[in-house]
Amino acid sequence: MLEPAGQFAADLRNLRSAVHRAADRQTAQPVPFGWLKAAKRRQRTSQHRVVLAWSLATACAALFCIGSLPLLRHAAPPAAEQKVIDVQPVVIDDTALLEQIDNTVSESVPSSLAPLDSLDNWSSTTSTNTESSLNAPEKKNVAQ
Amino acid sequence: MGHMVSTELPPLARAESVLELADFDEVVRLYRTRIFRFLMASLSDRDVAESLTQDCFLKAYNARHQFRGESSLSTWLTRIALNLVRDHLRSRRMRFWQRTRDTALDIVDVGEWIPDGASSPEQVCLQQERVREIWKSVERLSRQQRTVFLLRFVEEMELAEIAETTGMNTSTVKSHLYRALRIVRDRASGKSEGEQ
Repeated sequence: MLEPAGQFAADLRNLRSAVHRAADRQTAQPVPFGWLKAAKRRQRTSQHRVVLAWSLATACAALFCIGSLPLLRHAAPPAAEQKVIDVQPVVIDDTALLEQIDNTVSESVPSSLAPLDSLDNWSSTTSTNTESSLNAPEKKNVAQ
Repeated sequence: MGHMVSTELPPLARAESVLELADFDEVVRLYRTRIFRFLMASLSDRDVAESLTQDCFLKAYNARHQFRGESSLSTWLTRIALNLVRDHLRSRRMRFWQRTRDTALDIVDVGEWIPDGASSPEQVCLQQERVREIWKSVERLSRQQRTVFLLRFVEEMELAEIAETTGMNTSTVKSHLYRALRIVRDRASGKSEGEQ
């Protein structure tokens, strides 16, 4: 099946002959002096083009980075604030908080604050007395 | 035959390469037609084929240290040419705005080059017409099918050699060749692909 036969094989032979003759005609001339100069020039040009393309790409990337720096700098503070806000809420259990308050209140008063302590006692007793004395005229008024 | 320095490349020291590559001008003289023929048949463009032939020999010269003599020099050069064809077709696809100009270039009309062995002018015309039809069918094959077809029926390479040149398995080469032959035969005989 891979080896054609009959008319098709003859046509393929003609095709081969035609291509061979066309190529032979084209390359019949001896290789001119400096035949590969054009190829070398093309190779150099393509190398330069590759270098140029990479340089351009690098320059574009650098410009993009430099251009986006101010944006990044402006964008940074809100992120920091957000972080602080996230950190602030500390969940404390209610019972633990109440215990902490009780402990603080029930602590003994230091010696240096002792006069204040007595003053506090005095103010509490006087306040009850004054309350009763203040209430007396009111009672009188009510009686009247 | 007198030695003619034509490529302006420095002659190779025999130690740095194998014997076949020792005289590069001789290599060019021996294989230029073959490489040009393959490139012209692959691209249907004489100017591009000539440029790529030069590129092929320059690449071969620059990569001469990589040639270990495991395959024949002809196979090695054809492999370089094949890579150049692939690169050229790829870059032509990328430069789509140049396509019109490219196709308008020097297209090979193989029908004009048929050897005049027919007995009558009518037969010559008939042969030319058949060859043109086959050539059109070959041009419309996929790249791999066309490569395998040309290497087999224009360059007359064996299947194993085609496999070595293209880097395919022999079974893959057979498969491409079978499909290419079927398509070319059917198109040349005026059958559509659905009628097989």
